[in-house]
Amino acid sequence: MRKKPSFWRVLRFLFLGFFVLISIGPLVWIVMSSFKSNREILSSAFSLPTSLDPIGYITALEMAPIFTFYKNSVIISALSTLLNVVAVSMAAYVLARHKFKGNTFILLMLSMSMLIPTASLLMPIYKIMTTLGLFNTRLCLILVYAALGLPTSLFIFRSYFQGIPKELEEAAYIDGAGFFRTFFTIVFPLAKPGLATGAILQFLTSWNEFMFALILTSSTEVRTLPLALNYFTSQFSFNFTAMFAALTMVILPSVVVYVLLQEQITSSMVDGAIKG
Amino acid sequence: MQVKKWNIALFLLPCLLLFALIYLIPLLMVIGSSFFEWKAGGVFRFVGLDNYINAFLHDSRMMTALRNTAIWVVLQSVVHVGIGTIIAFMLARKLRGWKILRTIYMIPNVVSTAALGVIFLNVFSPKYGLINSMISQVTGLTFQKNWFFEEGSAFLTVTWSWLLYTGMIIIVVLAGVLAIPEDMIEAARIDGATEMAINFKVRLPMIRTVLGTSVILAATSMLREFELIYLTTNGGPGDLTLNLPLYLYKTSMTDNNYGYANMMGVVLIVAGIVVVQAINKLFRMGDSDY
Amino acid sequence: MKKLLAVALAGMMMLGVLAGCGGGQEKAASGGSVVEINFPTHWVGISVTAPWFQERLSAFNEQYGDKIKVTVEEIAGDQNYVDKMKVLYSSKSLPDAISTGGYNLIDSMKDQLVDLTDYMDDEWRSRASDICWDVNSRDGKIYGIPYTRQVIGYFYNKDLFTKAGIDKPAETWDEFFSQCDKLLAAGITPLSMDTADSGWVTSLMLGAMIGQTEAGEAFMNTNLPTDYNTPEFIEAAGNIQKMFQKYTTPDAVGGAYENAASNFFMEETAIIANGPWMVSDFYDTSLVEDGFADKIGTAMYPGGVMYNSGKIGFNIASKDEKTLEATLTFVKFLTSEESQLKMLEMTGDTPAAEGLASDAVKPLVNEVMANGDAASRCINDFQSLWYANVIDEISVQYPLLARGQITPEQFAQALTDAAAKN
Repeated sequence: MRKKPSFWRVLRFLFLGFFVLISIGPLVWIVMSSFKSNREILSSAFSLPTSLDPIGYITALEMAPIFTFYKNSVIISALSTLLNVVAVSMAAYVLARHKFKGNTFILLMLSMSMLIPTASLLMPIYKIMTTLGLFNTRLCLILVYAALGLPTSLFIFRSYFQGIPKELEEAAYIDGAGFFRTFFTIVFPLAKPGLATGAILQFLTSWNEFMFALILTSSTEVRTLPLALNYFTSQFSFNFTAMFAALTMVILPSVVVYVLLQEQITSSMVDGAIKG
Repeated sequence: MQVKKWNIALFLLPCLLLFALIYLIPLLMVIGSSFFEWKAGGVFRFVGLDNYINAFLHDSRMMTALRNTAIWVVLQSVVHVGIGTIIAFMLARKLRGWKILRTIYMIPNVVSTAALGVIFLNVFSPKYGLINSMISQVTGLTFQKNWFFEEGSAFLTVTWSWLLYTGMIIIVVLAGVLAIPEDMIEAARIDGATEMAINFKVRLPMIRTVLGTSVILAATSMLREFELIYLTTNGGPGDLTLNLPLYLYKTSMTDNNYGYANMMGVVLIVAGIVVVQAINKLFRMGDSDY
Repeated sequence: MKKLLAVALAGMMMLGVLAGCGGGQEKAASGGSVVEINFPTHWVGISVTAPWFQERLSAFNEQYGDKIKVTVEEIAGDQNYVDKMKVLYSSKSLPDAISTGGYNLIDSMKDQLVDLTDYMDDEWRSRASDICWDVNSRDGKIYGIPYTRQVIGYFYNKDLFTKAGIDKPAETWDEFFSQCDKLLAAGITPLSMDTADSGWVTSLMLGAMIGQTEAGEAFMNTNLPTDYNTPEFIEAAGNIQKMFQKYTTPDAVGGAYENAASNFFMEETAIIANGPWMVSDFYDTSLVEDGFADKIGTAMYPGGVMYNSGKIGFNIASKDEKTLEATLTFVKFLTSEESQLKMLEMTGDTPAAEGLASDAVKPLVNEVMANGDAASRCINDFQSLWYANVIDEISVQYPLLARGQITPEQFAQALTDAAAKN
C-alpha cells in the first residue's frame, strides 16, 4: 500500500467523522433526553441529564402498549421483507436477464408504483383491504409493506443481476439444471450483497411506516411501533421524557439487531465477492 | 440461452400480483379522478382538463412547488449520490473500522421521521439550538438566527437536513464496489495503475448500473418526500419550502380537494417516469456488463 | 438446512396469517341481542381526557354492557384522528360515534352524518346552553351533541407583573401594550407566542383583538368566514406583527405550543393565552417549579373580550336504526350532567350545561369560568370556525409577517385566497 500524504488522511478523517457525528448525534440525543425532565428538555435541549431516573420509561410503558406493538412490528417487518425479497428478486431476475415482449413495459409499470403519492394510495387500499376482509390484520400490513418496497428492491436487485456474469448460469443449464434450480442455487447466492441491501431497506421501510398502519388497523392487537410515539404528545399536553424513552425503546433494539445481522450480511458479501 | 415462456411468466407472477393488488386500482383512480372536480361534501363531476389548465396557468403556488421539487431532485441526485459514493469508496478500501462506520451511517434510517423532525427543530432553534450556540461560542457574540423560518436560510436548512439519509446510498454503492471481481482490480494494479486511477477507470465504470440505481432512488425519493418538510417548516415561510408532494398532501388532507390533488399525483408520476427514463439512458441501465 | 429454513419460514407465514385473522374476527363475533358500536378515540396516552374516558367507559359498560358493546379504537394524536376520519369518510365508512375534540368535521362531512334533530328531547337539550347547540347545528339541523364549552382568556405571572410595576391586567389594548413596554423595561419578555401547527397561542391573541368591536365580535362568531380583508382583522394582524417583533421570545417564530408553554412555565414570559385545561400543568413539577400555580392570575382580554362559545361535540354516523339507537344511548351517557361534571373535575374543561360547579375544581379553573360569564363580548375560536386550510395558511404566513416580509394587508389577502379555495 502506498502511503498517502497526511493532509488527505486528516481530510478523510474529518469527512468521515462529520458523518459519524450527524448519524449518531440524533440517537445519542434521544437517549440523553429520555433521562431529562420535560423542563430540562425544553429549556436546555443539549445539556446532559442530571440523573439516570427511569421514570420516563416507566411512564411510557404504562401509557402505551409498547410490547404488543413491538411483537407486531417484528412479525410484520420480517415477513414483509421475506415476501418482498422472494417475489421481487424473481421478477428482477427475468427482467434483467431475458429479453421478451413486454419487458420494458412491465419494468416501466412497476417503477411507476414508486411514484404514486402515499396520500392517493390510502383510500383505495383501505377499500381493497376491507373488501378482501383483510382490514385490521397483520397480513394486510405485510402485503402493503412488501409492495411499498417493491420498486426500490426491483431497482437494486436488477442492477446486481446485471452485474453477474452469465457464464455460470449457462454452465448450470448445460449440466441439466432447470430454470428454478439455476436461479435459487446459482444466481441467488451470487446476488447476496444486493439482496441483503434491498432486504435492509425493505425492513427499515416496514419498521418505520406510520400512515398505513394507522389507517388499515383498528385494534391494539395488530398495530405497530410507530403508532406508539403519538401517545405522548397531544395538542395541549406533552410528556417529552416519556416520548424519548419510548423512542429509545423503539430504536435501540433495532440498531442492535441491525449490527448483529450486519455480520451475517458482511460474510455473504465477501462470499459473493470471491465467487464473482 | 433459450428459456421457456412459462418460466418467465411464473417468475413475474408473484411480483405482478402484488402490484395488481396494491397499486393497480389506486393508479387508475389517480389518473381517472384527475379529470374530475372531486371535493368533500359529495361534489363529483367531470371537468376534462380543467384541473391541469388551472394548475399550469393560474396556480402560482403550483409553479413554486414544481420549481422547488425540481431543484431538490437535482441536488439530491448530484450532491447526495456524490457524497455517498465518495464515502462508499473510502470504506471499500477496508479502513480500520469500516464495518462499524457502515452500520453507523445507516442509523438515521432507523430513527422515525417524527423524531428527526423534533431533533432538527432543536438543532436549528434560534433560542437554544446547537448550531447557534456553536457559532456564539466561536465568535463570542450572541447569535440568534432562526434557520428554518427566515427567508434567506429556510430552503438550504431543509436541504441540509436530508444529508442524514446518505447512509442508504452508501450501502447500495458499497455493496456494488465489493462485488467487483478482485482479479480485475489486480490486473489493473499489475499494469501499474494508481489507486486513484483504479477508482476512476475500473471501479466506477464497473458499478455503473448500481450508480444509476442510486440516482434513481435518490431522485424519486425527492418526488415523494414531504414528511420532514411538513414536520419542520410546513412548506413555509410563505411557500419557500413547499414542494409538490407536500402541496398534494395539503390539497388532499386540508383542502379536501381530491381531484386537484390527484392531478398533482399524475404530474408527479409523469415527472417520475421522465426522470427514471433519463437516468436509465444516462447510465445505460438496460445493458448488462457481460 | 435450506429445507428446514423454508419450512420454518412457511410456518411463520401461516402463523402470521392466522394471528392476523384473529384480530379481524372480532367484529363478526357479536351476536344475539348485543348491539355493537364502534368509537375511535384520541383520549388515550397523555391526553388529559384519557382518565375521564376510561372512567366513563367502564361506568357505561357496567350499566349497559349486556346490551351494547362499544368497540374502542385508540388513535393517539388529534391530527391523526382527523386524518383517519377523512379516509373513512371518503370510503363511506365513518364509525358510529366521533369526537374530534374541537375540529369541525360537520361542514365537510355532514352528508354522511346523522341529522340528530328528531332524536332530541327537552331533557337532552337542557344539558347544553344555546351557544353550544348553535355551533353544532347547520340550517336548524343538529349534527353534533355538545358536552363542553370553549372558555379561554389569558394567564399572567403575578410575580413578573409586580416586578414591572403592574398591579392588574389591562382593560384596553393600549394599556396592554404599555404594560408590555413596562415588562420589557424590567427585562422581562412579555408574551409567549408560536407559529407552528395553527399558531394556537398567537392566533388566540389575534382573535381577541379582532373581537373587541361589534363588527369584530360578529366576525369571530361567523362560521367559515371567507373575507379577511376587514379593518378589524388588518389592525389586529398589524398588532400581531408588532408583538412578534418586539414583545416575544426568539423561538416564537417557528415554535409550537410546547415552546410557548415552556417559556411561560420557566417564567421567561409573563403572559400566555390559553384555556383552563392548562391549569393542571401549573401543578406538574416536571414542568414548573414548586409553587408556580400560586403566582398565576387569570384575565379577560382587553375590552372585556373572552372566548366563550360552544364546541363541536359528538357526531354520529351510524348506518341503521339499531346501531343508531345504541350509539345515541352511548353518547347520551357521555354527555350527561354527571359526565360533564366529572370532566370539569378531571380535566378542567368547561361543561356545556350552565350552572354546573364543583368544589373539587382548582380555583384558577373557576376563575376562568367566571371571567367567561362576566365578559361583555363573547367570541368563538378560529380553530372551530375557520377552514382547515386557512388555519394551515396562518402557520406558514406568520413567519413572513413577523419578519416584515409581508404587510398585515397581504396577510389578510393570503388567508382570503386560501378560504376561496374551498
